Amino acid sequence: MTAQQRTLFGAGRRRFIPWLLLAPGVGFYLVMAVGPSIATAFYSFTDATGLRGLPINWVGFDNYNEFAFEGARSRDNLDAVQRTLLFMVLVTVLQFGVGLLMAILVNQRLKGSLVFRTLFFVPVILGAVVQGLMWKLFLRPGGGPMDTIYGWLGLESQFLAGPSAFYWVVLVQIWANAGFTMVVFLAGMQTIPAELNEAAAVDGATGWQLFKNVTWPQLTPAVNTNFLLNIIGSLQAWMLFLVLTGFTNSTKVLGYVVYAEGFGQQGTSSFRQGYAAAASIVLFLLVLVLGMAANFVVTRRERKYLG
Amino acid sequence: MLLLAVLALVAAACGSDASTDDADGDAGSTDTEATESASDDSSSSDDGDTDTAEAAAGLEGTLRVMIHQNPPMVEWVESFNADFEAANPGVTIDLSVIDAADLPTANQTRLSAGDVDVTTVTVTGFANPVQPYMTDVEPPYWQQLIDAGLLMDLSGQDFVGNYDDAAIAEGGSYDGGVYSLNLGRVSYSGMFVNLDLLGEVGVDVPTTWGELVAACDTVKGAGYECMTAGGADGWPIFVGAYGLLGSLYPDQEGLVEGLWTGEAAWNDEQGQKLFERYEVYANEMLEDQAAGLGHDAAIERYKAGDVAFAPTGNWQAGVMEPAADSDLTPAEFEWTYIPFPGSDNAADNQILFGKYDQGWAVAEGTPVEDLAMAYLAAFSDPDTYNDFANTVNFLPTQPTATLDNTLGRAVAPLLQEGAFTVGYEQWFIGPAGAGQWANAGQGALWFYNGDFADAAEAADQAQADFEAGLGG
Repeated sequence: MTAQQRTLFGAGRRRFIPWLLLAPGVGFYLVMAVGPSIATAFYSFTDATGLRGLPINWVGFDNYNEFAFEGARSRDNLDAVQRTLLFMVLVTVLQFGVGLLMAILVNQRLKGSLVFRTLFFVPVILGAVVQGLMWKLFLRPGGGPMDTIYGWLGLESQFLAGPSAFYWVVLVQIWANAGFTMVVFLAGMQTIPAELNEAAAVDGATGWQLFKNVTWPQLTPAVNTNFLLNIIGSLQAWMLFLVLTGFTNSTKVLGYVVYAEGFGQQGTSSFRQGYAAAASIVLFLLVLVLGMAANFVVTRRERKYLG
Repeated sequence: MLLLAVLALVAAACGSDASTDDADGDAGSTDTEATESASDDSSSSDDGDTDTAEAAAGLEGTLRVMIHQNPPMVEWVESFNADFEAANPGVTIDLSVIDAADLPTANQTRLSAGDVDVTTVTVTGFANPVQPYMTDVEPPYWQQLIDAGLLMDLSGQDFVGNYDDAAIAEGGSYDGGVYSLNLGRVSYSGMFVNLDLLGEVGVDVPTTWGELVAACDTVKGAGYECMTAGGADGWPIFVGAYGLLGSLYPDQEGLVEGLWTGEAAWNDEQGQKLFERYEVYANEMLEDQAAGLGHDAAIERYKAGDVAFAPTGNWQAGVMEPAADSDLTPAEFEWTYIPFPGSDNAADNQILFGKYDQGWAVAEGTPVEDLAMAYLAAFSDPDTYNDFANTVNFLPTQPTATLDNTLGRAVAPLLQEGAFTVGYEQWFIGPAGAGQWANAGQGALWFYNGDFADAAEAADQAQADFEAGLGG
């Protein structure tokens, strides 16, 4: 233990105080996060149903085998994985861009920017059910607001009931979460010393040059945070799909497959929480691998810009 | 979060025994010494109200009851509960109303946690039993609940005898026990017909597919809509087409067996015809506005009077013609309910396919068993049940009950001829590994959602997905 650490943690019995203070939080984390995650991995090798009274049998890799290789079901699962990845790419890129744009706009010293800042953030606090209900009403064919706008343009769409349903969910997901992305960017922008911009302006930098050479590099922590949060959030998203499109084969994402299999939502099917646990482990691995890859990229970027 | 959700439930289910035998638990308790069957001494008011919730000696406690959302039924049950509480001052009914789609999850969690006493265990009777010709399939969830010991065997209860044998056998029995008290049959192979509108445009009630197509053309030509359904919920689209499936495959159980044994195929001649008609139904007959309507909203929209047909379950008759004391408003046009005329042969269009609907079940180990039994006994009183069936528009499962309303008059001739059959989807179980398109009973929705634009392609996909589960 270094002298600095001894100073930090004190001497004698006092050195245990930090650990005691940490214990509730660590314990909560172990019980509520680590423990269930390990147990889910365990259940993925069983035929658990979630029903008290039914035995739980070890089935080895059967659930994974069924998920990935058995019959046309594996094709459907692969489709769901691909759809999940497409959703991630679209949401990450577009939400990132929209959030950044909103942050730039509300960061201007313009009249009413505080009002817009609040308005842009409001969807974040609504929750998936309210968000879904609002958009179901907004996208209602047969006289709904968007249907009316389409009518003015001579267009027709079934919106959430048609082949474009997936992309409407992408839109709603972005609408629902871009406010949070904006707040993270905004926080980053407000930490940039005004002197940097002023000095660059004195040197004759244009608006674009200011953004490219001053704001963007200084935003690196916020960029990286948003990048990672958008990837992870979009991979885990499924509730909006449930609320907006419900029972639709062509919009199933991996998170929805987990829910449907685990909770008997596949029409007349059984409770298959062992299989659902296997699917959720697949989703976890997807998040882990993509999250780590993204983290590697953003860490390198951070070193490049900030040293 | 998803990991946590799954795990929490598994852990709850597999954790400590969390015994529900403890009458001192927070579920409330009962000191009842004995419960008398209310079916023997019930009374009924002149208007057939639900005041037959006769007091049973010394009942007290809280009874947690769970039902699914169905406006006329919820209204009726709330009224029944109030009467039951009034007749039993020590009793409180804690009623939960949930969406039908959430029933499996709610039963899974609440029964495992000992958090419900009387529940609607399914809305499909004891459907989809595993048949001898099926291999490597998972049992339906109601069977899992019974195998887990979560439902009480009601055999021997006096009130069970109030229901007809078929309802007990087909709608609630398993492995020698009676685990669900089925409350009624419903047909979803029919459609409501706006007789006033057809009369206005000079069209007879269609009896064949060709007549239906022609009727739709005429109706739409006159500026009205042909059909509506709850497209926003998805499932009403394919449920609305169950009649089409049924009229083309009158032997519904045989169709499922044929698929498993290879004697039938979704892409054979009859299957192709089915998909072609699905496409017409989904893309040409249903109004555009249907996509924005939920299941309950669709029938309200139909009541506006400018749509000729509403293919849906007969349970919606309770919304078309609500009980006198209901908050719902009745349809202001003359209507009837007919089997969906999906076949070219009118005789094939005279069968009502359907299911056993919801059934009461009692949680094994409930701390208020006597109260639960008294509740079911009061409900099963013939007069009370008759009122229930007429309010909810279930085709009765008590032999003494009759539907005395427009729906009853419409379907009575069909029922007298024994033309009620358990439908295809109550038999269908896809083989493990079958794809998401294997259940062509849902084919109409595929066209509606734009998943397929070509009937032959959809039929081939359905058959390929089914065969994939058979190892084909």
